[in-house]
Amino acid sequence: MADQALVTLTIEGVEVSVPKGTTILEAAKQAGVLIPHYCYHPGLPIAGVCRMCLIEVEGTPKLQIGCATEVAQGQVVKVFGDEALKARESVLEFLLINHPLDCPICDQAGECELQNYVFQEGRSNTRYAEYAKRFSPVEDFGADVLYVPNRCILCTRCVRFMEHVAEEPVLNVSERGDRAFIGIHPDATLDHEWAGNVVDLCPVGSLISKDFLHKARAWELDRTPSVCTGCSQGCNINLDTRSDVVVRIRPRPNPEVNRHFICDTGRMHYRWMNRGDRIEAPLISRGGELQATDWDHALSEAARLVSGSGGRAVVLISPNASNEAMFLAKRLVAQFTATLAFRVERVDGEIPLSGVPGLALRAERAANVAGATALGYRDDFDAAVQAIEGASLVIVVADDLEGVSREALQKAVNAVYIGTILPDAARGAALVLPVANTAEEDGTLVNRDGRVQRYLQAKSAPGMARPVWWVLGEVLKELGRGESLFSADEAFALMAEAEGSFRGLSYANLGMHGRTMSEARVSV
Amino acid sequence: MAITVVTVRRPEDDVSYLRATLKGMALTFGHLFRKKVTMQYPEQKSDDTWEISTRWRGTHRMLTDEQGRAKCVACGLCPQVCPANCIKLVPGEDEEGNRYPLIYEIDEFRCVFCGYCQEVCPEEAIHVGVHYENAEYERERFVYDLERLCAQTHPVSTLWDPSDPKGE
Repeated sequence: MADQALVTLTIEGVEVSVPKGTTILEAAKQAGVLIPHYCYHPGLPIAGVCRMCLIEVEGTPKLQIGCATEVAQGQVVKVFGDEALKARESVLEFLLINHPLDCPICDQAGECELQNYVFQEGRSNTRYAEYAKRFSPVEDFGADVLYVPNRCILCTRCVRFMEHVAEEPVLNVSERGDRAFIGIHPDATLDHEWAGNVVDLCPVGSLISKDFLHKARAWELDRTPSVCTGCSQGCNINLDTRSDVVVRIRPRPNPEVNRHFICDTGRMHYRWMNRGDRIEAPLISRGGELQATDWDHALSEAARLVSGSGGRAVVLISPNASNEAMFLAKRLVAQFTATLAFRVERVDGEIPLSGVPGLALRAERAANVAGATALGYRDDFDAAVQAIEGASLVIVVADDLEGVSREALQKAVNAVYIGTILPDAARGAALVLPVANTAEEDGTLVNRDGRVQRYLQAKSAPGMARPVWWVLGEVLKELGRGESLFSADEAFALMAEAEGSFRGLSYANLGMHGRTMSEARVSV
Repeated sequence: MAITVVTVRRPEDDVSYLRATLKGMALTFGHLFRKKVTMQYPEQKSDDTWEISTRWRGTHRMLTDEQGRAKCVACGLCPQVCPANCIKLVPGEDEEGNRYPLIYEIDEFRCVFCGYCQEVCPEEAIHVGVHYENAEYERERFVYDLERLCAQTHPVSTLWDPSDPKGE
């Protein structure tokens, strides 16, 4: 980067230096100026068809499009000059000739770029009051996508995504002039695994998600940065919640992991976060029956069960559990000869996004396999289940215990089940502790490239459920082996201290784009 | 210091209350024969002589289209603008796939009758009414559902128009 030639130019009176070959639109972002645009998207090839980013460049006779004009030394760019404003106002007027005024029923309202720019730079009245708007019926593009041709502004982002990024060119611009619309190949549907991204790319409400249709308004949503737990790729996502219910998942740009995209499997991977059949109170076994209790009793009971030393311990953990949970569970059984295990669902084949190297829906359908491995857990579930017999302590964290019988846990006298829901086999445990799921706690996950990434709490946990790091931290405190943990980053700091793979990392230096373990080792 | 008492002697006419009392009584009885200003509510309600303002903001009314369906398209602006947070809206679809409120409830107890919901409504569906009789026997009855809001027949408020402050 450092030896790359820099070009200095002035945008709206702000001087910026950017690498040679940068477009004016990207340079303007660095100058803190957003040039209005529709067809330009950083994840797509440049088309220059919407004419929304017209700007004045001193010395050129005509207006230039910011998205396709490269910067030059000493350029003086005016984004909000009279001429540019007038041109963009005209572009917006053209776009609105046939655009319906159905914002009240449009899912995009509130996050619509047409709404935003018209409000910012458009005319306050129309000169086409007598003109009957063109009407075309809504079309089903298949899979999760609906096409509303009336709202389309023909930016061609969806066409370019399918052609150059998904590399399955099933969309095009059909017809010409004012009859143009987005056409789909007559024999094709938009069922490509990554096709759902066209909904996010669409700057208006023309391509909309069937799943999200009429579900919530954009302004009602809270957005929380998170990490997808659908596979080991670890795509960065935002959880959009509305009054403590996750209503949709959208990609959160991370140039190192998923650029601007997520797959449809990840996009739909949110319903489990809203499950209603959760454990809401600690349950303690009394005469073979689980009975609700409070945290004070549950924690002292947990400490009693764990307090032994010597003998064998088995920890079965979900590969979607946070590093913090895995680390503390491992610390909890430090006095024992421990078998640490997880199991991970694997399917046949990956589904890559052809245009983005290194991005695919991975065959390994769990988010923290790399973290578990780094912390000493083994992908050998069956052996661990065998080891339950005769073990002096069994701890299960968020595993659904499929294939494990209730009797197996009953026989192991000191069995603690820590989870969000209660599978039948877990009823054999001596103690059940309710914990928060990924959407309800802070934590970190490690993706297949060894990138440690943070996720934040998006909604509140039901009932008395608490984050795993808090629960395990309290048990360790009861045992006199640590202090209460007040936040997930304290648990992470303990782990960074004790575990070589995480050394040098902290919540502060992870940021929201994460860091790889090898990066951290180099900097220490 | 000694206290000095001064006794004032006034003419008999000035200290007599009789005259003043009679004067007052005359005024009171005089009113019996004048035009009455009090309206005998609830026996008597608004009439030609006294009318509730067309700008009055009372309990809500949802306007309906020709088929008798609520004009509301569940856009979500009224719950958003409502300062009292008294509107509950769950959007859904009708039989033809149009956006339509599945649940639309206004808690008239929480409502502060600001009229913002009417002002913000892009479909001119929800209105505050020119209406003031809202007594009920149960608190729950003050949560008006969509059916009840549509069934209201009282006139709707014209609100205050800044460009026409006197309502002319």
